[in-house]
Amino acid sequence: MMQKLEKILMPIANVLSRNKILIAIRDGFLVTVPITIVGSIFLLISNFPLEGFLNLMTSIFGAGWDAYLGRVSAIAFDCVALLGVLSIGYCYAREKGLENRIGGAVVALVCFLIITPQKTVVELEGAAEAASFSGFQFTFLGTAGMFLAMLTAIVSVEIYAWAIRKKLIIRLPDGVPPMVMESFASLIPSAIAMTIFFVVGIIFDHTSFEYVHYFIYKVLQTPLVGLGKLSGFEVIYQFLSTLFWFFGINGPAVTNTIFSPIHKVLTVENYEAAQAGLEMTNIFTAGFSDFFCNFGGGGSTLGLVIIMAFLGKSNRMKTLGRLSLPAGIFGINEPLIFGLPIVLNPLMAVPFILTPVVNTIIGYLATITGIMPITLGVQLPWTCPIVFSGFLVTGSVMGSVVQIVMLIVDILIYYPFFKLLDKRYLEEESAAGGEEDELDSLSFDDLELD
Amino acid sequence: MKVVLIFDQGLAGAGGKSNPNVGLTAVKGGVGSALMLEPHFEKIGAQVAATLYCGNEYFLHNEEEVVTKMTAMVKKVKPDFVLCGPCFNYPDYARMAAMISANILQNTEFKSCAMMSVENAETIEAYKDKTPILKMPKKGGTGLNDSFADLCEFMKGIVEGSGELEAVRNRVCY
Repeated sequence: MMQKLEKILMPIANVLSRNKILIAIRDGFLVTVPITIVGSIFLLISNFPLEGFLNLMTSIFGAGWDAYLGRVSAIAFDCVALLGVLSIGYCYAREKGLENRIGGAVVALVCFLIITPQKTVVELEGAAEAASFSGFQFTFLGTAGMFLAMLTAIVSVEIYAWAIRKKLIIRLPDGVPPMVMESFASLIPSAIAMTIFFVVGIIFDHTSFEYVHYFIYKVLQTPLVGLGKLSGFEVIYQFLSTLFWFFGINGPAVTNTIFSPIHKVLTVENYEAAQAGLEMTNIFTAGFSDFFCNFGGGGSTLGLVIIMAFLGKSNRMKTLGRLSLPAGIFGINEPLIFGLPIVLNPLMAVPFILTPVVNTIIGYLATITGIMPITLGVQLPWTCPIVFSGFLVTGSVMGSVVQIVMLIVDILIYYPFFKLLDKRYLEEESAAGGEEDELDSLSFDDLELD
Repeated sequence: MKVVLIFDQGLAGAGGKSNPNVGLTAVKGGVGSALMLEPHFEKIGAQVAATLYCGNEYFLHNEEEVVTKMTAMVKKVKPDFVLCGPCFNYPDYARMAAMISANILQNTEFKSCAMMSVENAETIEAYKDKTPILKMPKKGGTGLNDSFADLCEFMKGIVEGSGELEAVRNRVCY
C-alpha cells in the first residue's frame, strides 16, 4: 500500500516542487516573511496583550507612542502585494535563468503599479463635487492585491524573459561598461511588458470591473481564499505536509506552493480587520498553522522528543531524545527525521501524520468555542517556543494553555509507538536472542592499525 | 550479505548539529537511518553487521585519523560491502564518505561505495573516479526510495557479480 501511495504522491511532489511558477511564488513569499515578522514585532509592541505594559510605555513616551510603531507594521502588512510582486518577480527571473534578475523584479513592480489605480476619488460631505487626489491607496497594495501581484509578477517576467530570449535587445559596442550594457539590454523587454500591462489596464477601465484589481479579486482571490476559510483546509494542509515527509520529501516545500499564498492572505486580512476595528474571522492564519498544529517541527514531534528523553529505556532513545530536545523546543527536528528515523519508518508513520491533524482539530474547536481567541494577524518566527508563541499569537494566556493541552495529547498519541520502537532498540542493544560474537566488543580504542 | 554502514552523527541518531564532535564510534548492527534501508536490504539478503560513525566536526578536525581508523575497522569486521552514506546534501558527511570509500577500495580488498546528492558537486567531481558514488536526492527531495532500490541493485551486482553491472553502474552512479 505504501508503495502505491508513493507512486501517486511522487509525481505530484515532482510537479509541485519543480514547477517554476509555483517555486517562484513560494520563494517570493518567503522573501517577504522577515519583513512581516519585523512588522509583527512592532505591531505586538503597540498592541501588547498586557495593560500594564501599555500604560508603562505611555508614561515613558507619552500618548500616541504606538502610532509611530504603526509606520513599520503598516508597510509590512498594507504593502504586502507590493513586496510580493517584487520578490516573486525576482524569484521567477531566477527560475527563468535570467542574468539580470533585479531587472525582472523591477519590471514586475512597475507593471503592477501601471495597472494599480493612481487616483483616488473622495466624496466630501457638503461639497458639490467629489475631490480627487493622486497617489496609490493601501487598499490596492495590501491583501486585496495579493493574487494580482502574483499574476503580474509571473506574466511580466515571462514577457521580459521572452523578449530577451528572442534577442529583442539593444546591443551596445564592446567596451561599454557591463552595467550600462545590461541596462540597455533591458530597455525593449521592459517596454514590451509595460506596454502590454498599460493596454490591459486601459481595457479594464472600460469594463464593469473598472480595475484589474477588482476583477482578479473577484474571480480568483475570493474563491481561492474562500477555500482557506473552510474547516477542512488546515487539516488537509497538515495531513499532506507530513505525508510527504514520511516518504523523505520535504512536505511543506511541496504544499506551500499552493497553501502559503492563502495562509498569507488569511493572516493579513485579520490584521486589516483589527486595524479597521472589525472582528477578525480567519482561523487558519500563518500563526495558527505555525503554532497550533506542530510543536517541535513537522509531525509535531516535541511530545515524542520529551518522552524519548525522559521515558526512553534504550540508550539510543534516551541519547537522541536528550540531544534533540533543545532544538525541538525551537521547532527543529532534523536529527529525529533521519536519526530515529521517521522517514520511511512505517511504525512512526501513524503518529507522525495523525498528531498535527489532531492538533489542528483541537485548535479549531478551541477557537470556535471561544476557549482561546482567534489568532491575530501577526507573523512570528516559526522558531518561537511553545507557550510564548501561543500567548503572543492570540494575545491571551489561553493560547498557551491550549498549546500545553495539545502537547499532552501529542505525548499520548506518540507513546504506544514510542514504546514499541524503544523495546526493539533495547532488545538490539542487549543483543537479545543473538549470540555473542566479536562484533559485540567493537571499539576504536583498541583498534590495531597496519 | 554482510554490510557495514558509515554514517555521520545525524544519520546515526546521535544528534544533529547539537552533537558535531562525537568521536569515532562502532556499534554492532544498524542504528539510526539503518532502519530506512532495512526493507530494501532484506530484498537482497543483506544485513547490517555494524555501523561506524563520528561527528562531522570531529571528521573535519581529524580527517586522516577518521579515514585510517574507519578503514581499519572495516578490515576487522570483514563485510561483503561497505556503504558510506546516504549522505543527502550534507557536505561534510559527503566528503567523509567519499574519502573513506576511496581509501577502502584503494587499500583493502573490500567493496564499497559512497552515496550523495548532486549538491555535493565538488566532492563528486574530486572522488567519482576513485570510488563509485551513487545518486540520491537531497534532504527532502523526491525519489529516496527509488535511490535505495538502485543502491541494492548495485550492491547485489558488485557482491554477487552480474553481467549487467556496468549498465547499472552507468545508470545509478555519477
